[in-house]
This record gives sequence, C-alpha cells and structure tokens, in this order.
Amino acid sequence: MSWTLPKLVPRSAPVVLLILTLGASIGFAGVRHLVTRYNANQQARGRKLYAKGITAAEAARYDDAIDAFRAALTCDPTNSQYQLSLARALRDSGDPRRLDEAESYLIALWQRTPQDAAVNLALARVAAHRGSVEDATRYYHNAMYGVWNADADSSRNKARIELIEFLLGKNARAQADSELIALAASLPANPAAHLQAAQLFTQAQDYAGALSQHEAVLRIDPTNAAAMAGAGDAAYRSGNYTLAQRYLRAAVNANPEDESSRRLLASTDLVLGSNPFQSHISDVERNRRITAAFDQAEQRLTECARQTEVDLSSNSSSAGSTLATLQSHWSAVKPDLKQLRSPAETDLPDAIMDVVFQIERQTAASCGPPQGLDLALLLISERREAVSQ
Amino acid sequence: MTDPVSANTAATSLQPRVVRLQIRERLFSTLEGAFNEEVFFLILCVFIGIFSGLAVVCFRLAIDWTHLALLGPLPQTHSWRLFAVPSLAGLLVAILVLHIFPGIRGSGVNQTKAALYIFNGFIPFRTAVGKFICAGIAIGAGQSLGPEDPSLQIGASIASALGRQLQISREKLRLMAPVGAAAGLAAAFNAPISAVLFVIEEVIGRWSAGILGSVVLSAVSSVVIVRFFLGSEPLFRIPVTTFKRPSELIAYAVLGIAGGVASVAFAKSIGYFRPRLKALPRWTQYFQPAIAGLLIGLVAFLGAPQVMGAGYDSMDQAMHGQFAWKFLAILAVLKILVTTASFVSGTPGGMFAPTLFIGAMLGGAVGDVERIFFPHLTGSTGTYVLVGMGVLFAGFLRVPMTSVFMVLEVSGNYEIIVPVIVANTFSYVVSRSLQPIPIFDLLTRQDGLILPSLEEEREEAILRVEDAMLPVPKTILNGQDYVDASARRVQDSTDSVFLVRMHPTSWNVISREQLQRLFREGKGELTLASVLPAQPLPSLYPDLPLDSALRYVNAYPLVPVVNRADSRRLEGVISRDSVFKEYGAPAKHD
Repeated sequence: MSWTLPKLVPRSAPVVLLILTLGASIGFAGVRHLVTRYNANQQARGRKLYAKGITAAEAARYDDAIDAFRAALTCDPTNSQYQLSLARALRDSGDPRRLDEAESYLIALWQRTPQDAAVNLALARVAAHRGSVEDATRYYHNAMYGVWNADADSSRNKARIELIEFLLGKNARAQADSELIALAASLPANPAAHLQAAQLFTQAQDYAGALSQHEAVLRIDPTNAAAMAGAGDAAYRSGNYTLAQRYLRAAVNANPEDESSRRLLASTDLVLGSNPFQSHISDVERNRRITAAFDQAEQRLTECARQTEVDLSSNSSSAGSTLATLQSHWSAVKPDLKQLRSPAETDLPDAIMDVVFQIERQTAASCGPPQGLDLALLLISERREAVSQ
Repeated sequence: MTDPVSANTAATSLQPRVVRLQIRERLFSTLEGAFNEEVFFLILCVFIGIFSGLAVVCFRLAIDWTHLALLGPLPQTHSWRLFAVPSLAGLLVAILVLHIFPGIRGSGVNQTKAALYIFNGFIPFRTAVGKFICAGIAIGAGQSLGPEDPSLQIGASIASALGRQLQISREKLRLMAPVGAAAGLAAAFNAPISAVLFVIEEVIGRWSAGILGSVVLSAVSSVVIVRFFLGSEPLFRIPVTTFKRPSELIAYAVLGIAGGVASVAFAKSIGYFRPRLKALPRWTQYFQPAIAGLLIGLVAFLGAPQVMGAGYDSMDQAMHGQFAWKFLAILAVLKILVTTASFVSGTPGGMFAPTLFIGAMLGGAVGDVERIFFPHLTGSTGTYVLVGMGVLFAGFLRVPMTSVFMVLEVSGNYEIIVPVIVANTFSYVVSRSLQPIPIFDLLTRQDGLILPSLEEEREEAILRVEDAMLPVPKTILNGQDYVDASARRVQDSTDSVFLVRMHPTSWNVISREQLQRLFREGKGELTLASVLPAQPLPSLYPDLPLDSALRYVNAYPLVPVVNRADSRRLEGVISRDSVFKEYGAPAKHD
C-alpha cells in the first residue's frame, strides 16, 4: 500500500490535521455568520406574517390565518408561538380533518415543553373537539397545574371553568362536581367570578352550591341584584322557599323589571301560603289550606280529564283509568274533610294531602306543567317527598 | 578568551531551552507515529463530514433563499410567478449547464459510482460548485426535483478534492467519493443511518469494518453540523401511527403492489424520454428546462402548487390528512409527470424527494380508498403516507434496506416496521419483475457507462463449493501406509490421483505415477507421510463461494471438502474440472 504524504501541504499528518481544523473552524465561523444573518431576516419576515395571521384569526378568517401562520413557519420553522397559533387556527377552522395536523403540532410542542400551560390548554381543546373526556381532562389538568406566562390564577380558573363546561356538556356530572368544588375553593373575591361559578353550579344542578356562590357575591356586594335573583332562584330550586322568598323579594325590590324573579316570587308566595305542613300556623289555617288544596286538586283533575278527553266515570284506557282511580280516591276521601277539626284524626291531613299530591303529580304528567296554586301544590309535594327520602 | 564563569552561565541558561526543544520534538514524533494511514483516513472522514455538512447547510439556505425571493413563502395558485419563475430559472440553468458546468447533468449517485469504479475517486470540484449553483436555482425556483442528490454529489466532490490535495493512496482515494456522498446525503436527509445504508447498498456494494467506519464517521459528523445550524427538527411532524391487527398487512401489501407499479411507471417514463430529449438538437437543450418549468407552472397555476420544488411541506400536510384521496392520487400522478419533465430536461437536481413525495401521496390515497371499503382498518392516513414513502423508495430507487430504515429513521416509530417491510417487499418484487433494470443502471447505460449493477450482484445466484463437489473417493490412502502397500492398493482403481489422510484433520494428495515412481526408486518401505510434503492440503467447506476454490484447484489436483461441524468428516472433493464444469467452461487438461 503506497502511503504518500501530501505535497501541497506540509508533509506531516499532525500539521495537515491542524490545517484542516483551522479550515473547518473558518468555515464554521463563516457559515455561522451566514446562518445568523439569514435567520434574522427570516425571523423578521416571520413576525410580519405572524401579525397578519393574528389579525386574520381575530377576525375569524381562519383560512387566511392558517396560510399566514404556515408562511410564518416557513420563515421560522421552530417558533413555538407560530406553531401554537397555527395549531389553534387549524383547530378553530371547523374542519375536522385539520384536527390531526393541529394535534401533531401541539404534540411536538408538548414534547418540548410538557409543562407549558398554553400548549396543554390547546391540546385539551383539541381533545374536547374530538369529544375525548379522558384526554381533555388530562390536558386541562396539565394546563391548570402548568406554567402560565401571566395572570396564572385567573388563567387556571378559566381553564377549570372550560373543563367544567366541557364535562357538563358531556354529561360527566361526577367529574364536573369535583371540579366545581375545586373551583369554588380557588375563586378570588370577585363577584363576576362567583356569579360564573354559581351559573356552573346551577348547570350541574347543584343548587346548594349555586346558592353559596350567590351568597358569596352578596357578602362582597350586598346590593348586587343579579346575585339576589340568583340566590332566590337557587333557594327556590333547592326547595328552601322561605329563603327564596327573602332573596326574590330583595331582587324584585332592587330591580322591579326582573320579571323572572317576580314570577318566582309569586310562585314562592303561593307555596308558602298554601303549604299546610308549614310550621307556626294555626290548626284553622292548616285546615283551610288543606281544604283549598283539596278543592284545587279536584278542579285540576276535572280540567285535565276534559283536556285529555277522559271520562272520569269509565275505565277505558290506562291514562284514563289512572285519572279515574284518582277521582275515585278523591271522592273517597272527600267525606273525611269534615273530620279535619277532630283532634283524634292526626293522620287525616297527611292522607288527604297524599291524594292531592297524587292528583297534582299525575295531572302534571298527563296534561303538562301546572300553574298557580297547582304548581305550588306540586312543588310542596316534591319538597315533601325529598324530605321524606 | 572566554571567561569560564560567563561560559558556564550561558550553558546553564541554554539548558532549559534545549530540554524544551527535545520535549517538543519527542511529542511531535510521537504524534506523527500515531497517525498511520488508517487512523489518518478515519480522521479525514470526520473532516469530510464537517466540510460536507457546512456545504449542505449553505446549499439548503441557498434553496430557501431562492424560493422565498422568487416565489414567496407560500406560493398561491393563479399567480403569474408560477409560470415565469420556473421557466426563466430553467433557461438560466440551461445556459449555465451548457456553457459553464457541463459535467453536472445526470445523477450524482451514478457520478459517485463512476468515480469509485472508473475514475479512481476523481470528481471535479467544479461539479460541486455547479451543482450548488444550478440545483439551488432550479429547486428554489420550483423545478420538481430534490436537494438530496446534489447534496450527495457536493459531499462526494469535496471529499474527492480533499483526497487529491492530500495525495492519499489510490485505494483510499477511491473510497473518498462514497464517504463524501454519505456525508452529503446524511446532511440533506438529516438521517445518518439511511445515508450510510444507501451508500453501502447502492454505491459501494460491499461491507467491511473499514468502509463502514469511515462512512459512518463522515455521515454522523455532517449530521451533527447540520443539526447545529439548522436544528434537530425532523423533516416531518410525524402523526400518531398505529398497527394493530396483522390482517391489515394485506392492505399494506396492496399499497406495496400499487407502489411497485407506480415506480415502474415513473422509471419507464424517465427511461423513455431522457434519451429522446438528449438526442434532440443542441439548441433545444437551452429551452428544455424552461419548457419543464412552464409545465410545472401550469400545473401549479391550475391548482396544485404542491408539486413545485422538493415538496416536503406538502408531504407533511398529506401525513396529517389535509388532502382528500382523489387529490392525493392526482398529486402523485402530476408529480411523476413534472419530475420526469424536470429530470429528463437536464435540470440538475435529485429524485429522492420527488420519490418520497409520490410515495407519500400514493400511500395516502391508497390508504384512504382502502378505508372506504374496509372501515375497520385502523391505520391512519399518516401511517399509509409514511409506508408509501418507503414503498416508492424500494420500488423506484431499488434500495430495499435503505427504504425500511429511511422510514424508521424519519418517523422514529418502530411500530410500523412490519407494514413497511411487507409493503416494501411487494413493491420491490413488483418493480423488479416489471422493470428488470434499476433506474440508476438505466441512466448509466444511457450515458454510455457500464458500472457494476449492485442490484444484479445482490440478486445473482452465488455458486458454492457444494455445487462443484464430487463424491468422496472410494480409495483414500492413509499417511501411515507404506508406499508399496499403497501402490498395490491403487492398482485396481480407475482414479489417477488419491487423497491421503495425514492426520484426522489434515490431508494430502498423491498421484498414481508418483506412487509408482517412489516404488521404483526403492522407497516402498517408507510411509506416505515421510515422502509427502509436510505442508497439508487446504480444506474447503461446502457453503463457501466457488470463487474461493479457484485459487486452490490450479495448485492441487484434488481439494478436500470437509464438514464445518466436524473437520474430520470428508464431505467430498473438488477438482479443477469439476469447478470449470460448474462455471460452464469446457474442462481443461494439462
């Protein structure tokens, strides 16, 4: 094997390697300078395109935004902000085929910075678009416990609220409830935040929680009419009519144009004024309420039978037979009304009111939601049933 | 007269300097001794990788800059630029190729192979400069070609130039071009394993520790350089790829067959048009790249700008299900059309990226269609796109190993290795049966060169010793036998030459005439072991290539073939006649 030393360079391997090292260093420095300048130019171009994309995205022109972000990324392919914005635009464009691409951008970002809350939130939203409760919950949690660049507490609460809304939309009540509890514990002393939380509690049918949030608002701002109305509504739905009456009355006083609260207040007044089981009323008053309820039930039954064209004297159909049975019960109990004044008949009020409640429940099922006193009686029946359960 | 005191002082002051010089000389000579040729060559490979990496970084910047300057960040359809830019760039490139860089036409792979096999590793440095400028303009302007082949050739040219400057041995100089090619390709693909495999599979065609070490060193160092400057982002954002049920392999096999057919269509179209366009009058060659550019512009103008340039962004989008299957299929067909136009017109640029593009689009289309008919298939569009890339690589470039590793390296996902292997095998087999000559060999032959076809070598049936082996001879003599007894024993035999077992595992040979002569000379009382040479016969094994027997059959009339597991066991013998007969040559007799 012929081993000839170089002619154009010194005949020594170490010197040759030294020269090569020097050449490589010079080349390296030159290319570095070139790449730095090129990257600077590209980044400037990318920033312009990015700004264009942001404007388009804000105007919901997602196709334009996607084009602009893509172009920005060709100028600065590793820019996380551009990738995140492109992923968001792809996700929000409404084209389900673009979700994959959005997700892959986000996954790449996530692999680089798994603690980045914004990336996790964007991934959570993609998962929410896909309807995946498990993935969405995981990424939302990552976002909540991740690193936010600014306004961390508020952003975390917003992410949690978004998760709760998603879970409620997916009918995942148990998970939503636990998130609501966590949310309630972390809310700042801000009426708007408590009101929003109260709304979520209401959506989750946790009226006690909603009431508590509205009361929190009223502790901060006792004149907040929305909180009064909300508290009244929550108390009403949870069957606490005395409290509901107080809040609703305050709400109507504070905002006389609040028709919803006014209607609820009227209903509440009726419930409180017609409930024979209310404490601190005289026997006479109790008997009067029972009698009024009994008469009202009969009217409701007759009206419902007429509405559904059922002959209360015959047993032609199942619905008709139920109404007819109730009519027969009502007729059977009617003579007992005269016994109400007798102190020996302690179970009679319950027996009479049971018939009334049965009639109200059945007519509500057969003839639609009741109004006025019938509604009040139905609410009393539901409340009583809940208490007994 | 010198003052003895001052002389003594001077000597004392000189002493440390002398010691320092001695240490320096000793260190230098030690360093010098450490650099034998092998070590020096390996270090040189690292430098080749560094220089190639730096060149490829600049090349990629040049392409990007040209693209941005001429077409903008994202080419929009229905823009006049789509027509003007590729056409005018084609015209400019044609002038440069015809007048300044005539040697840059054609495939860089073949030029590197030619350097290895014909030109003793010589590739003019001008080729690197020409490829850099012309391919940079052409690809940046939207000609449907890729940067990998030029990068490969730039690397090879740099390595060749460096080797010539350093005047290393001819054997090493021949290897310089493939080493540089691996560095260039690795830098372009950001995939060192695929580059190493490609160069070994397609250019060098053989494995040895030295070759592998040098190619790996250059590829890895170039990739390190590219990643330092351009980041370690992969070429594509890889989507979630899945392979759940083995029955789905049928779907990938169908993709492999479709890919094989598409590969053949692509190769045949290039093979058909290239010589015809080259045969046209010289003045037409000024306009051929421009006409190709016009065709590409028309396709882009009509709604498919994705076919312009290398198309990596579009592959990425296809991988993420951005295109409907019909559009994917259209893109695959159009890319075959426009890449053929660009390549056969003599525009410098490579076919690696277009091959991946066609494969990606075809894979996506086939996968989507299969899912329409079989909705239970779990593979995502991205999975089919990735597998499709490998399929075209295997079918068109005919590098089955590289095609598998390329997909794995690009995707970083080993879950799809089975679909990739299945689909690539089908593609390779279909392509090979429909188009026996691989594209690189076809191009070489069209250029009037006969380079070794590495695929043919790979696929060629190897003759082995067992094919030429004769049965164990009936008469085998023993080294401890006497000459006279042996001569009597062979009297009835029809053979003229006899094996002699000297020891359980060593053999010798003696002819009938030799025995008779020894007997006549009165040496009948001697044992065969004492009269035969001490050097035993070489033994062969049945599975050795028959070529390895050639060196012995001329020297010895019989060569024993022994069992690998038990070298005392004789499996048969071979002779010159039996070997020649197996090679189809008439038997020669002395």
